[in-house]
Amino acid sequence: MKLTRREFAVGMTAAIASMTLPRLATAQSSLVVPTYGGLWAKFWEEQLLPGLTSATGIQPQLDVGLGKDFVAKIRAGGDRSPYSIFMGNENIAAVLRAEGFFEPFDLAKVPNAAKTYPQFINKDAKGIRAIVSPIGLAYRTDLVKTAPTSWHDLWENPEFKGKTGLYQIGNTGAVLFLRLVAELFGNGPDDFDTAFAKIKELLPFTQASWSGEVATALIRGDAIIAPVDWTEIMTLQDKGAPVAIVAPKEGVLAFEQSFNLVGTGAEKDAAHAYLNYILDAKVQQDMAKAFYTSPSNNESVVDDALKARTPIVGPRMAEIKSYDWDSYVDKAAEIADRWNREMA
Amino acid sequence: MSAVEAAPRIESRSNRGSATWMVVPALVLLIGFFALPYLTIITMSLREASTRAVYGEGFTLAHYTSALRDFYIWGILGRTLLIGATVTVISLLLGYPVAYHLAKSRSRWTSLLYIFVLSPLLVGLVVRTFAWMIILSNNGVANQALQAVGLIDFPLQLMNNSLGVTIALTHVFLPFIILPLLGNLQAISPDLAMASRSLGASRMRTFWKVTLPLSMPGIQAGTILVFVLSISAYVTPAMLGGTGGRTMSVLVVQYLVDNFRWPAGAALAIIMAAVAVIFVGLYLRLTARAMRRLP
Repeated sequence: MKLTRREFAVGMTAAIASMTLPRLATAQSSLVVPTYGGLWAKFWEEQLLPGLTSATGIQPQLDVGLGKDFVAKIRAGGDRSPYSIFMGNENIAAVLRAEGFFEPFDLAKVPNAAKTYPQFINKDAKGIRAIVSPIGLAYRTDLVKTAPTSWHDLWENPEFKGKTGLYQIGNTGAVLFLRLVAELFGNGPDDFDTAFAKIKELLPFTQASWSGEVATALIRGDAIIAPVDWTEIMTLQDKGAPVAIVAPKEGVLAFEQSFNLVGTGAEKDAAHAYLNYILDAKVQQDMAKAFYTSPSNNESVVDDALKARTPIVGPRMAEIKSYDWDSYVDKAAEIADRWNREMA
Repeated sequence: MSAVEAAPRIESRSNRGSATWMVVPALVLLIGFFALPYLTIITMSLREASTRAVYGEGFTLAHYTSALRDFYIWGILGRTLLIGATVTVISLLLGYPVAYHLAKSRSRWTSLLYIFVLSPLLVGLVVRTFAWMIILSNNGVANQALQAVGLIDFPLQLMNNSLGVTIALTHVFLPFIILPLLGNLQAISPDLAMASRSLGASRMRTFWKVTLPLSMPGIQAGTILVFVLSISAYVTPAMLGGTGGRTMSVLVVQYLVDNFRWPAGAALAIIMAAVAVIFVGLYLRLTARAMRRLP
């Protein structure tokens, strides 16, 4: 086929226009909110966003991914972030905070923050840990004779030798566990030398990249005990799997979803309204029902049936061990490298 | 020269012009989505590290020098190349007979065999890798079967190491060696083998002296494809490799995505790409020389 210059020019213009139009459409849209896949995306699509729209009139776009993907997009966005609000584990949020992408929330625009357990509000409102998924010790009820009651059982109960599952260092669960072990056996959550020495005593252990993989290891029987979040284990129980989860007496860990205001975002008022809605007592209750998180709003009502499955609620929220991640940012790369080399 | 003689030449020049314009979209695509990103990665790899910004202010070669001095990185690189080479050799040994059979077969069941060959590509990569996890885990199908027939007393470590990655990658990439080989074998005239047989050569001698040498271009293309795909694979080593089967691509992703170390991760990616280019270049030279020596 022979193209005249005019035909070629028209064709190219059409092609460039077709590539540009979606970008223009995006520019006209309002708030973009990030969330995770699976149960989370389902809840956001079916309940949270329709509720937000009817409560505030805001019609956000949903972006499903991982916290690390959101970090990459904010970094790549430079001074025009695709998000005005970031959601991710607090240790990941700390990276962007250190790089200067976030600014404090105006708490006057987030009235529900006053009802949030204070431990989840960062100093100077630089991030609010609005969604909390506690991590306990999960085990196979049919393969474990003595149910665990303490984190120390991982080292002291011979049943668990070589049958333990742990998150690999790329997952927040691993860094949380590292800091817990440093606190339990060493001088505090920053005593990484002690933590590495103690965790090496658990070798060989199965390493998993995310909670679903830990669950798979438990189901296969490759691991019979593992630190995992309640969400994962309750979901397995709902499917009839012989697994249970306990809150060790020293306290529990938690995936804390940190919400942060992105300085380079364009929809800051809508971002405040969105966070306020997330912190709402009823919304927190609904999340607990949908995926067994612990409501961060102290006015959320958790009935006895739900409390039996999500025990870390109300006064027991004090059992959650929260760590300072801002100081960890500088050490994160070195610790990940060390884990790779020593935990093989 | 008369106007009549000049006309075809003008026509030909015009055709050439159109053909050149036709290349432009592909060229724009290649520059936009290949050359520019590569240039960005190279620039990123030369940036200083920082925990207070995406990267530091200045430029440095430190990410390259520290990676090249690190035996841990060399170990991972070596493992990646070994896995790539092993997958390639096994795929060739398994794939050649299948391609040969498909090329020669006149059976009406051939199309069924085509489907079998393509079947690894018809299932999503993550689903397929999960299936391998179910088969290869300590309490998986393979270990249970071996224990049931009394061949082993304790489960074999079939995953979380290079073995699991090699098995799963061979399964995934087998079609990538069969298909180029098939095209090549089908293009070889059957008259050549018949001539060889009529001159007294046995079937085996005909295969070794006629068919195999003539299928070298297909072998070359298929092995390069499988090798490159194997050393750059991510999902399979990430899910089946564990710490004992970690490859360069997993390490690069960990640097970039898990640790947010874009400059250091970019340097590792460039090192990996450079090593792949060197290996493929050497292989091409060696195989080209071998092909020139063929009768």
